Amino acid sequence: MKDSSSRFIAFALLLTLTVVQLGCSAAASNQPFFGKTDPPANNVLRYISGSEPEALDPQVSDGQPEARIAMALYEGLVEYDPKTTAPIPALAERWETNKDTSEFTFHLRRQGRFSNGEAITARDFVYTIRRGMSPEFASRNAGLAYYIKYAQAYNEKDVFVQDPATGKFILEQDVADAPAAIKPPLTSQPVASVTDEYPPIPEDKTPDTDTEFHRFMHSPPRLVLSSDEKKRGKQIEANPKLKALIAGKKFVPVEGKDIGVEAVDDYTLRICLGQPAPFFLSLLPHSFFRVLNQRAIEKFGAAWTNPANIVTSGPFKVAAHRPYDRIATVRDPMYWDAASVKLDGITFIALDDNTTIMNLYKAGEIDGMLNHSVPAPWLDLIQPMKDFMDGPEASIEFYIFNTTKGPTADVRVRKALNMAIDKQALANWRHIKPLTALTPEGIFPGYPQPKGDAFDPTKAKQLLAEAGFKDKSGNYDPAKFPGDQIELTFNPAGSNQPIAEFIQAQWKQNLGVTITLKTMEFRTMMTTRSKLEYKGIVRGSWSADYMDPFTFLGLYYTPTGNNGSGWWDQRYADLLDEANRQADQAKRYELLAQAEKMALDAQPVIPLTTNATRWMKKPYVKGLYPNAQTLHAWKFVYIERDPAKWDYGVPDLKSEPPAVAGG
Amino acid sequence: MLRFIIRRVIIIVPMLFIIVSLTWVLIRLAPGNFYTGEKKLTPAVEANLREKYGLNKPWHVQYRKVLWNIARFDFGNSLKYEGQSVNRILLRALPVSAALGLSAYLIALFVGITTGTLAALRQNSWIDYASMALAMVGISIPNFVLGPLLVLIFSLTLFWLPPALWNGFPSKNLILPALTLSAIYIAYIARLTRSGMLEVMRSDYIRTARAKGLSEGAVVTRHALRGGLLPVLSFSGPALAFLITGTVVVERVFALPGLGNYFINACFNRDEPLIIGIVAFIAISVLVFNLLVDISYGLVDPRIRY
Repeated sequence: MKDSSSRFIAFALLLTLTVVQLGCSAAASNQPFFGKTDPPANNVLRYISGSEPEALDPQVSDGQPEARIAMALYEGLVEYDPKTTAPIPALAERWETNKDTSEFTFHLRRQGRFSNGEAITARDFVYTIRRGMSPEFASRNAGLAYYIKYAQAYNEKDVFVQDPATGKFILEQDVADAPAAIKPPLTSQPVASVTDEYPPIPEDKTPDTDTEFHRFMHSPPRLVLSSDEKKRGKQIEANPKLKALIAGKKFVPVEGKDIGVEAVDDYTLRICLGQPAPFFLSLLPHSFFRVLNQRAIEKFGAAWTNPANIVTSGPFKVAAHRPYDRIATVRDPMYWDAASVKLDGITFIALDDNTTIMNLYKAGEIDGMLNHSVPAPWLDLIQPMKDFMDGPEASIEFYIFNTTKGPTADVRVRKALNMAIDKQALANWRHIKPLTALTPEGIFPGYPQPKGDAFDPTKAKQLLAEAGFKDKSGNYDPAKFPGDQIELTFNPAGSNQPIAEFIQAQWKQNLGVTITLKTMEFRTMMTTRSKLEYKGIVRGSWSADYMDPFTFLGLYYTPTGNNGSGWWDQRYADLLDEANRQADQAKRYELLAQAEKMALDAQPVIPLTTNATRWMKKPYVKGLYPNAQTLHAWKFVYIERDPAKWDYGVPDLKSEPPAVAGG
Repeated sequence: MLRFIIRRVIIIVPMLFIIVSLTWVLIRLAPGNFYTGEKKLTPAVEANLREKYGLNKPWHVQYRKVLWNIARFDFGNSLKYEGQSVNRILLRALPVSAALGLSAYLIALFVGITTGTLAALRQNSWIDYASMALAMVGISIPNFVLGPLLVLIFSLTLFWLPPALWNGFPSKNLILPALTLSAIYIAYIARLTRSGMLEVMRSDYIRTARAKGLSEGAVVTRHALRGGLLPVLSFSGPALAFLITGTVVVERVFALPGLGNYFINACFNRDEPLIIGIVAFIAISVLVFNLLVDISYGLVDPRIRY
């Protein structure tokens, strides 16, 4: 037996040595690119799109993996610019915005076709948006379109109030206590003609006609009440004017036909908002607004996305779908711009394990991958490589304070805990950009972003002493700080654990307090967070829905929802409202920055880092850029077989956007 | 024999009921929901969703629906994956898991029984030591270590085999996962075969067979293996059930769209119908395979009677 065990040990040693040897040789390789660089035999891009898409229906999911696939299969009025992700013409070849950005008129191209050959008209867009907003469909993205007039009321199943005798509806202004302090948006005022409402349009274009629907939109807003009798009862009780008016009136449900989308003619689409929203156009490339085929959906119901039934509108169409494996797409000859689509197809591979993704990439089995696919421990190896796509991202990491209870209800404690973290050190270690504010840094050109508090342990201790954690001589005393009443809760995915340990060490080192770390599975954490049931601090992250600071600042627009901190200030919400009524972008940014400063003073969160894109593509893949949202307009992507024209490094994001036919 | 089979089949029903009920309760206890994400939904949107999927109904109505679904083998629609029925998902994932599991199973049986028998026949020789040492390694190295190791060697250094993904059956993509999955079973089967054979080779009927003048080959294949493989048989029945109904770790490591991969994702997604569908399916398979093993016992070993 002794003999056998010693042989066993020898064998095990040998095996270990072999592995270590292999590991070293992999790390020491001095290649410009990671792994194989042979272009695929056929003209099909193999792209890792992340976890299995929930649905091929672009209005169902709110996830990024789905958004990337939807961009191949469906097209909207506008598309994300491949480099800046700003809206560029797609099915709409041009558009006009009214004077206060509360109404948009889109002119569609006449060559738009679905994959089944049917023409795409303004009516299809009206159908698509109404469907997305319908309460029965229950889209998780419906909130994106709440800016459209009466859309929220429709989605929340609200009712109008009508006088059965006269047929007239009760208006918001009828029950208001005082006349509105702010001027209503243009879409809530009658206008003499459509031309009056818009800035001068070019002479060769004719202004659009006024319609009955347009006049309905431009009348003062109707009163909207909840369809839930209990809630409505409360609404009525709270307002004596309303209570008096409501007697003998009937409740009419808000319907899809009441929301502010209108097909003026086959190729003109008008969208009326309930408020000015200068950022509305940048919302429109979102998959929620991409056009769908009414007939296919009504014929097949929920099964319309099965490969046999699906009708799409984008540059590529579905060839096969094997869940948890891949979606094979091919170029759609019906697509209006099929001639400039360069790939024969794209295979989207559903995979979310970073190590496996990197293995496939190295072995040359895939050509590109989604963002954050390069695991942090690999960065030292990968960063010098010329196929590493790194750039700042419109997404941030932060920790949220529970401002409603415990020591973190005190703003001085919040400020102190924030100031005691050396974010530059964190950033250096993570190869990433530090963050002190509520919006990502270096993402929104022209936005005068305020800076948050800098790293200052002395000031932090002073603040804590002021908050009452001091000894007899008035100096800060760590023993007095109730560190046991604060926990740092996070989900143990990715690098969350080492980051939390880093922050924990910072507090220990700079303030002498020990904060316990607590791991929680993701969905459990999200529930605990929205109910404000966590002790002290919880992890948060946010990525932009659209390219505007408001997508980040809006988190604290209400005390509930995505807020998570419980911090809310009426003045903050008012400032955001005021900003969004500003048509002038510079003034608007100024106001948004003021709001951001106000929130930073209250410190509801600890900003940590602006994320980096961190993905890879083979040098022969052209037209894929590390833009701030990792959203790629696939029709511009191609495979370059001439090594002289390959990308050696991150391609330039500043050069001119690609020419768009008819744009 | 028939009464034994009927009794065992009837027992499957309450067993399944307990397993499914426990699973259902555990899903209920887990916080969050299939639509819980980084972005909080507005109350109205959430209410719309709950109504659409019947989550606003009282618990006993929902529970009854789950039981009724299982009674007629229709597990309903996935919550997470819009428009996909659980039955279709099972039908699509099962062949992947089965192809992987069966390949691993056949490798394990062939390699395991061969080495085990050789080790027993040449007890205390170098063959015996080497194969048992390898078996120890096979048992000790978990497959989430072995898988990446094989990938490192054969995919990333030698560039011989693809490191992951499913590519139909048969394909090169299946070699590494099947090897990884079979390692621990090879090890178990080799050890079981060896000890079973060692015991049998010393028994009286083998001596009788030899005394009759049979060749050593005939003694081993016709007499010894039949008795010596009994422990392997009782091990390999449930093993087959587990192998072909999905192997979470290997399917994750090699990104194969099998039942195990679906199961783990269904749990993360809180996709109740899919979780219950897979659990019920695996439970039924294990119960049925166990029954088959018990029946085959009687066929292989004349000493066992029901």
